[in-house]
Amino acid sequence: MLTLYNAGFIASPSLAPISDRLQPGELLAIVGPNGAGKSTLLTLLSGYRRPDRGSVCLGGVPLHCWDPRQLARRRALVAQKLTLGFDWPVRDLVALGSDAAPDEVEAALSLLDLQPLAARGAQHLSGGETQRVMVARALCQLGLGSIAGMPLGGMLLLDEPTSALDIGQQQRLMRLLRRLVEVQRMTVCCVLHDLNLAARYAHRVWLLERGERIAAGTPEAVLTPGCLARVFDAELDVSVSRTDNAPLVLLAP
Amino acid sequence: MSRSLASPLRWRPRVERRLTRPPATVLTALALATLLALMIAAMSGSVGLSPKVLLGDWPAPLAWQVWWQLRLPRLILAALIGAMLAGSGAAMQGLFRNPLADPTLLGLASGAGLAVALWVVLLEGAAGALGLYGQFLAGFLGALGVCVLVFALGERQRGQEALFTLLLAGLAINTLAGALGGVMAFIASDEQLRQLSLWGMGSLSHALWSAALGALIGIPPALWWLLRSAPGLDLLQLGELTAHGAGLDAPRLKRRVVLATALGVGLCVALAGIIGFLGLLVPHCLRLWLGPGHRLLLPASMLGGALLLIVADTLARTLASPAEIPVGLITSLLGGPYFLWLLLKRRMPC
Repeated sequence: MLTLYNAGFIASPSLAPISDRLQPGELLAIVGPNGAGKSTLLTLLSGYRRPDRGSVCLGGVPLHCWDPRQLARRRALVAQKLTLGFDWPVRDLVALGSDAAPDEVEAALSLLDLQPLAARGAQHLSGGETQRVMVARALCQLGLGSIAGMPLGGMLLLDEPTSALDIGQQQRLMRLLRRLVEVQRMTVCCVLHDLNLAARYAHRVWLLERGERIAAGTPEAVLTPGCLARVFDAELDVSVSRTDNAPLVLLAP
Repeated sequence: MSRSLASPLRWRPRVERRLTRPPATVLTALALATLLALMIAAMSGSVGLSPKVLLGDWPAPLAWQVWWQLRLPRLILAALIGAMLAGSGAAMQGLFRNPLADPTLLGLASGAGLAVALWVVLLEGAAGALGLYGQFLAGFLGALGVCVLVFALGERQRGQEALFTLLLAGLAINTLAGALGGVMAFIASDEQLRQLSLWGMGSLSHALWSAALGALIGIPPALWWLLRSAPGLDLLQLGELTAHGAGLDAPRLKRRVVLATALGVGLCVALAGIIGFLGLLVPHCLRLWLGPGHRLLLPASMLGGALLLIVADTLARTLASPAEIPVGLITSLLGGPYFLWLLLKRRMPC
């Protein structure tokens, strides 16, 4: 379990203090306008930046006190984009950061339908394919290839993992994340721009604006017409899905 | 993603050929080739020394003396310097995630070169008793000074910015060292100028036991440090943020690689001048062959660098025998055109 005790950044880019806890078996979506501090929040949650005030604890231990390698087995990160200096084969790239056996790497590849690309050079992939490769790599790092070795409470942090995926791949990725959360009791924390994905798949949503978390709760509670219109400065047509009453956000004509 | 998460292992995929080659075979082949080159190089030179001469006609004092006093230290030096230059090139390229990075790019080599020029022109008369050691020391301190300066600049920022700062600092240092070196050449006497320009082209002709011992003490620890950084360099390819998420202490890795490179390359420049292209060429060619993983690339580059410098130095000694061509000229003449050809052949060098 990841716990934030009044944690935030004073130095720029700043982040107002947040106190909350992320439970195993929870899919959290972080939404907000451009430059609201979503990626900054991920650097806080992953321990890349040490908070200027408060603390972030995983299993009761502050993140900066963890041995980096031990921590890497329990939390993995998928960054917004990948810039490679060299042309790594996809399969080798997925194995980076873990001592996974070859069949575990294959299992991680198959989870994201990457088998046909396994021998390709990663510099020659499309944006969406690269995003799936990075998710597969993070799963491999958490030991997902072999279910027996799966640590309970593993945490996956993703920064806009669906931004370059087509609608079918978006659905498959979000369903995969839901299954990880429900079957493996993982904690998944996902920065999303697509509010409808957040509404459909997340258990909880944090809404950020100008370095401050201004709302947190279920999608129904947070993604309200007034709140969204104000934060995003857009005219929106917010209704309710007929299948499961999840909020449905469309642009007004 | 359609497959059941509960049993991903049940589904066995067709195993495709891995793009990376089996490490043991490659390293053994390279090591054998290096050994072979060492043996051939030990026998050839302006005095031919076949095993028959050395062993058959015991005692053959002159032959032994040439072999022990001149050829052996020179071979040791060639192997160590080649390994260091190519290995640090591979490590720098990994650190900067750029196939064109090189110790010379960071200004280490030119800083060391400037220190040696300062020593030869200004101080050698005053402290001539130190002899060659003074020159080694000057080069070593020059590289170390540049390393500390570059590092202090790079520490102020985090992430990719710091790497660009390092590269820009290297550029500034290269320019400055070039200008100051020009000033030194301007006020140098004819004899000093000749000494400097020969040294500047890169040559192993100073190789005596004194130099070889210096290399034996300084270079292997630097090589060992670089080899230990290989897994970290692999992780760093994911970008600093993701690499941190995967358990990498990036600042520590950077410190280690930069320090090892400064120590090793500073020593190389002091011992043999600036030998160009090894650090760029050897890792580049091997990467095309072996893939970009540093666990294999670093040791292979070290072996390949040793092999190439042994061959180049043997050519330098024998082509115009009994005169000698500076080995830096040979590596540049071999390396430059080949590198251009590679760049022309592939539009995307990796």
